[in-house]
Amino acid sequence: MIWFLKDIDLLTVLLRAATLAFEALLLGGVAYLLAVALPAAASQAVEDFCRRGIRMAALALVVGEVALVTASAALLMSGSDLTLKDVTTTNFFRAYSVSILCAIGLWICARLKSRPATVAMLPLSLLVIAAMVSVSHAAARINYRVPLAILTAAHHLGTAAWLGAMPYLWISLGRAANVDEARRMSQRYSRMALLGAATLISAGVAMAVFYMGTWNAVYTTTYGVMIVAKIYLVLAIATLGAGNWWLVRRLASDPKPLLARLRRVAEAEICLGFAAVLTAASLTAQAPAVDVTAQDRLTSQEIYARMHPVPPRMTSPPLAALAPPISLEAAVKANEFAPVINSDANDNAWSEYNHHWAGLIVLVAGLLALLSRHPTMRWARFWPVTFAGLAVFILLRADPENWPLGPRPFWQSFTAPEIVQHRFGALLIVVFAVFECAVQAGKLKARWASYVFPAMCVLGAATLLTHEHAAKVKEALLAEMSHTPIALLGVSAGCTRWLELRLPKSRMATIAGYLWPLCLALVGLILLNYRESA
Amino acid sequence: MRRKTSIIAPRFVVALIVACGIALIAPRAALAHAILVSSQPAANSTVSGPDVAVLLKYSSRVDLEHSTLTLLDPDGKVEKITINSETSPGSLSAKLTGLVKGGYVLRWQILAMDGHITRGTIPFLVK
Ligand SMILES: [Cu+2]
Repeated sequence: MIWFLKDIDLLTVLLRAATLAFEALLLGGVAYLLAVALPAAASQAVEDFCRRGIRMAALALVVGEVALVTASAALLMSGSDLTLKDVTTTNFFRAYSVSILCAIGLWICARLKSRPATVAMLPLSLLVIAAMVSVSHAAARINYRVPLAILTAAHHLGTAAWLGAMPYLWISLGRAANVDEARRMSQRYSRMALLGAATLISAGVAMAVFYMGTWNAVYTTTYGVMIVAKIYLVLAIATLGAGNWWLVRRLASDPKPLLARLRRVAEAEICLGFAAVLTAASLTAQAPAVDVTAQDRLTSQEIYARMHPVPPRMTSPPLAALAPPISLEAAVKANEFAPVINSDANDNAWSEYNHHWAGLIVLVAGLLALLSRHPTMRWARFWPVTFAGLAVFILLRADPENWPLGPRPFWQSFTAPEIVQHRFGALLIVVFAVFECAVQAGKLKARWASYVFPAMCVLGAATLLTHEHAAKVKEALLAEMSHTPIALLGVSAGCTRWLELRLPKSRMATIAGYLWPLCLALVGLILLNYRESA
Repeated sequence: MRRKTSIIAPRFVVALIVACGIALIAPRAALAHAILVSSQPAANSTVSGPDVAVLLKYSSRVDLEHSTLTLLDPDGKVEKITINSETSPGSLSAKLTGLVKGGYVLRWQILAMDGHITRGTIPFLVK
């Protein structure tokens, strides 16, 4: 049961991420329809697609929030004598009910095509934001609730206008009846996005200053590390967006190929945008840095002790030296109150050895991919083969207490989520290696096959953004410090590879083509310096 | 322009579901949101009985109506504690009465105003 509850805990973080994303899509759709498509006199086809997008986002938001409320209610009721009736009087229940009703309202409005229905979308959207703000960090602050609530609302608004509306621009550009219409829409969107980005960034900076308190919170708390991740993603989107802004200015001259490029870059931006939303959801699950007490913060000495480069560990201690595995049943029992961390120096060495070999493999893959750009090094294009080795390695060594090294049988050990994760990861890597090899060798010509690698990179990295290791705050933070850069590099690798594949031959495509192997190699280097203890 | 019947929104939904599905199996210790700033009695402290005042201070506003406090006594019996209602925002107070000598564990579950649930235990000794 407790295991089940922990899953619900995790589930609420993910549902929060999903609802944040759907909220951005829904409000972004409304913003796009009201401020871009309609004033730009978009064709009926574009308008219909916008309305359809809004309806789907509204439905998704309703489903996401119903699930979130259910999970939160279950979490609240378990371990206390609160009843379902009590839950209905809570702040979060009311707030989510309001936003669910508003989302349904927006769905209806998007269905009706009348003018009043279209206008009614605006107040409904603002109500959704208000409901979201009432369950944000701001609402729970003891001081400065009102200014923080206003900043939070502005942050949501900016996110919707910039990132949430972007997919609609992407759809519109593909559906526009003529080039002139596409140009009108991209110009209007570009103005709205600039405003949205300015709002999002200024509100974000103000909130960051408040919630962080001090500069050193950037590296002494998880909140700070996640903020840095968000800043990186926003900067990456802004860089692509700035390029797009220039493209839009130039649209008057030779629009057709430029529009195609605009759409390709928008794809990468949308992807980065949703990674940023995921990071935002992780942030809402963290206590703001100002609240974290000194004893839970890292000191620079601790960080140096863990992070300074040392030669990687290429040999592991013998299996017999590891802490003896307890039975699965006992492990489940022991986990009821706090996760057991009975790892000793040998366990750490074992794990470091695993990470370092994985790092070496990834580094080699990245370097080979880089080499394969050179005409005389074409053989290096089979770099994905190295990943197959990684998969075998994970399967054999990641969980020494299980088959084949330990006493726990293969199938039974699936009850532990971490082991499922490792095995699923290994499977994904094998699938990926096969695909990418076929793609690189030119045996698999289908377009979609070449997208498997960037998609896996981004999805895998996104998982890491919500991943935490230890129960101890400091340990979790140290793990976060090595995982977050890997996650960001993974997202970057996926997006740049995507751009390389999608963009027509251009300087941007060439740069992207060099960037992703570099990201991969950097991931390898970080893994090579991974440590479980100082 | 290119005409294809598919639309990005469903693809997005699918991608998000896949992402969630993968993230679902990633282990993640739920890190608390409302942090216990100070507690009285302090964790692992020794207090004198039979009456003990409880004052828990948190870093965020607490929904007192939906927060619970239970006490695990030396015999392993669990008892629900009534929470006082007139405290300042972010704190929770209660009165424990008739405690005998031995080790107790105070278990708290609070609902912060932002909908986050936090739990914790405070073991203490009564002399
Ligand atoms: Cu890890």
